[in-house]
This record gives sequence, C-alpha cells and structure tokens, in this order.
Amino acid sequence: MKTVTIRYFAVLRERRGLAVEQKTTSCESVGDFVETLIAEHRLGLPPALIRVAIEGEFVDPADPLQEGSELVLIPPVAGG
Amino acid sequence: MKFSLSDAPIAAEHITHNAAGGFVVFEGKVRNHAEGRSVVGLEYEAFPEMALSQGEALVQEAIERFGLSEARVIHRVGQLTIGDTAVVVQTASPHRREAFEACEWIMDQLKWRVPIWKRETYSSGVAEWVVPGEAVSSPVDDEMFARQMRLPEVGPEGQAALAGARVLLVGVGGLAAGSLPSLVGSGIGTLGLVDADLVELSNLHRQTLFAASDVGRLKVERAAVFARRLRPELTVQTFPVRLAGGNAEQLVSGYDWIVDGTDSLNTKLLLDRVCQQLGRPLVTASVHQFEGQLMTIRPGGPCLADLFPEPPPEHCVGTCAQSGVLGVVPSLMGVLQANEVIKGILGLPVLDDKLLLFDFRTLEATTIRRKSSGELSSGSSTWDVDATSINLESFELVDIREPHETPELTRPHRKVPMAECYEVEWQRPTLFVCASGRRSYRLVADLRARGVRGVFSLQGGVECLERD
Repeated sequence: MKTVTIRYFAVLRERRGLAVEQKTTSCESVGDFVETLIAEHRLGLPPALIRVAIEGEFVDPADPLQEGSELVLIPPVAGG
Repeated sequence: MKFSLSDAPIAAEHITHNAAGGFVVFEGKVRNHAEGRSVVGLEYEAFPEMALSQGEALVQEAIERFGLSEARVIHRVGQLTIGDTAVVVQTASPHRREAFEACEWIMDQLKWRVPIWKRETYSSGVAEWVVPGEAVSSPVDDEMFARQMRLPEVGPEGQAALAGARVLLVGVGGLAAGSLPSLVGSGIGTLGLVDADLVELSNLHRQTLFAASDVGRLKVERAAVFARRLRPELTVQTFPVRLAGGNAEQLVSGYDWIVDGTDSLNTKLLLDRVCQQLGRPLVTASVHQFEGQLMTIRPGGPCLADLFPEPPPEHCVGTCAQSGVLGVVPSLMGVLQANEVIKGILGLPVLDDKLLLFDFRTLEATTIRRKSSGELSSGSSTWDVDATSINLESFELVDIREPHETPELTRPHRKVPMAECYEVEWQRPTLFVCASGRRSYRLVADLRARGVRGVFSLQGGVECLERD
C-alpha cells in the first residue's frame, strides 16, 4: 500500500468537490490509480482525457505509482 | 444594390443623377509590385454574404456622411493579372468636392471593413495571402509609447516590431476583454477579430469590452469600436464568422500571431492544427470557474494535440454557461495571453514548453513541462513502433480514426473508433493507427496501463504506413 496526494483541476475539481486529498492505494501504475478515481468519484471523463503530472512533468499511465507522490490531474478546459 | 462583387472583368455603367453636378470614378488596378516584390498576378476571395452586407452598409454610410446623390462600388473576385481593374468606386454629389472626398474615404474604409482577401503571386512563383492595410507610425505614437520604449527590451526597434505585427483574436469574449486592450495599448499595427456572436446580457460580467447598450449587436463590431477609441491609428479587420475548417487557413494566414479566445475545444484543436500547418505561433487559454490554463505553441513545438489528442464531447469538460466562471478569470488570462504575444514579438522568452495552471482562489500558479509527440515517443517505449522496423504482416491493423477521416488505408485493416477500443478484447498482436500517431500512442499507453499486452502504436500515423 502507498499513500499519495491528488490535486484536482477544473471540471475534475468541480465533480470531486474538493481541490486536494490524500489516498492510500494498492494500485501499481498511475493509469490504474486514475481509473479507480474515475470510478469511485464519478469524474465523468475517460482516462485518455485526463493528463497526470508529477513534480512538474507529465507522466505516462504505465508509469509506476510511487509512495508519497503528488499527482496533478488535468482535464481539457474549454471555457473562454 | 450599391455594392457588388464581380467574378468577370468589371463593366460598370456610369451612374447618373439629375441633382448631381460632380461625378467621380475611381478605378483601382493591379500593379506589378508590392512592398519591393515583383507581382505577376493576384486573386481576390471574399466571404460573399458578409462582404455584400458590409459593403452595402459602407456605401450607405458614405452617402449619408458626405450628402451624396448616389454612390456605387464594384469589387472583383477571382484571378486577376497586371493592369486588370480590381475595384470601381463611383460617387455623385451636387458639388465636386464631396464626390472626391467620398470616393477616397470609401477606398480607405473598404480595405479594412469589407472581408475581401488578396493573394499575390510574386515573380519568384511564391503566392501569399495579403491582408490589406499598412502598419502605421505617426508622431502621436512616439508620445503614446514613450514609457514602454524606455524599457531596454523594447526601445525604438521593439516598438517598430510591434507596429509591424498583425495579431488575430479568434473569439471576442471574456479572454479578449483582457487581451485586446493590452495588445492595442502595446502598439501592434493590425488587429483581426473573428467572432460570429452577438453581445448578450449574460456576457457583460466578464466581457468588459462591451457596454449594456451593445447587447444584441455584433461582438466584432463593438470590439473594433473599443480598439479604435483606444488607438485610432490601429488597423482593425472584423470577421463576423465562426472559425471552421473552410475558413481557418485564410483567416490565420494573414496574421503573425494568433490568440485563441474561443470557448470550444474543437475550435481550439482546429486552430492548433492550422497554426502548426501554416507555421504561426498560437497563444491559447481556457477558463473554468476559478481557474485558468494557458500555453504558447510554437510551430514544430509541443502543441495542444500533444496534450489532448482526442477532442472530448463538449459537455464532458464544462463551459462557462454550464459550470460558471468568475468575471476576472478570463480577463486576467487574456492579459497573460497578450503578455505572451508582446514578448514573442519582442523576441523575449515565452511559455512555449510549459502549461500554466492558475488558481484564482489561492493565486497559486503551477507550471508543467510539455513535450511534443516526437519527444514523447522517441524510442522510450518498445510498443511505439516505426513502420520500417517491423513486419506489418504479423499484426492486426486497426484504424482508430473517426469515420469521416481520410485517406482510407490500402492495407487490410479493421476500423474501430478510439473510444470503442477500450471495450474490445484484443486477441492477436494489434497495431493501432491514427492520423498522426498521437491518439494511438495514448490509447496503447492507456491499454497497457490496464494490463493489456500485445498492443502497439504506429509512430507518425497513416502517412508513415502508406509510404512503404
């Protein structure tokens, strides 16, 4: 099990109802973890439309999930 | 009809009017040079509906303004050669002076008020779309820009670069409320405005270019009035149309910098693609509730499609109308867009390799480094494959593009749109193909993250497949 921090942006924050949270998970990859978040919190976007960044860099869904990481979840934003 | 377009040589009958003592006829002809280059021919193209209505309004305005008895304008469209008549303006008034003045005024106004594009073909064989109107420099400017020119990064050279710059704002709403005043104030020479919408009451809390009395009127026209009030020397071109596949190239090609102020992801992705094709830098921004995103996209650099290759259904991501937005959010993001354009024109660093996320609740700015698809897939994954290094026969080929996308693949293949690929159980080694290799890369990355094996993405997309 590992504990990570998640920061939600834009429509994800709106749907989740909060900006930051910590979670403990057994997921091995970033992609797996994002999918569990989508299902658990009904984030309403397919995984392909959520980009994840860690420490200022975008990461791949296949990348391993590391203990203590802060994941920034970024959806596309349309408003102008 | 006082204003008309003609795709054949103009044969204008002279206007007559018993109350008029002065008749002026002006003929504009194609000359053999433009800004030091030798011209061999040109082509005019118009948005007919808009050109006709705006042209008609212009001639009517001239009649009222100068007290003319009659006026008429005929403009050519299509291919013209040296010496051909491009435009005929006829004015008639009781006395000659008004007829002369009105004729010149109509020609001046025509250039920036009526959407007609000119494509010059030079003796070198190169052809370019030219947006009419010249960058201006007047004694007024020296005083207006004195504080800015004092900056070592600007100076007279920087100010001249700004005066020569043509900037296109696509979408004249909340973001433009920030970008337009800052851009015009900086002294850019030419501003193009694209938006088909009318001002609505629900726009005013954030779209501060407009007044309550503007409700129901065209946004581009009211924004043009705002811009000219700020700087009368500015050349403003208005295009009351929606940017779409059919007009995007023409609109973008006439400008040096493109500023995305739209509220649609499909339009943003279209602009992204067209700017990459035509080699124009793009500054894009979006807002959501208390948040803004911004990035600058250089030709050949990481682009919007690298980040979000698949246009999502619009309702998935929330618009200002659905999710709400604080008025200052688009305004400030627009100011930051103008900052990017101004820095770009001055040759200063811009945000071309990062995405900026700005949270207006905490005033926290987060930047995330972006990579181009080339960098993303540069041999970092064994499943992102090059058509020349594999035996294509050993894969099941799957085209994940949308049904309308062309060209068709010539090799045997299955068609499964990307969104449906997540539900399929892939039995044999499968090679996914899309237009550029971006969507297939994301799909395979996602599938592999779910533990699916034997799935591969073709680098470079359809073109690389058909080349072999």
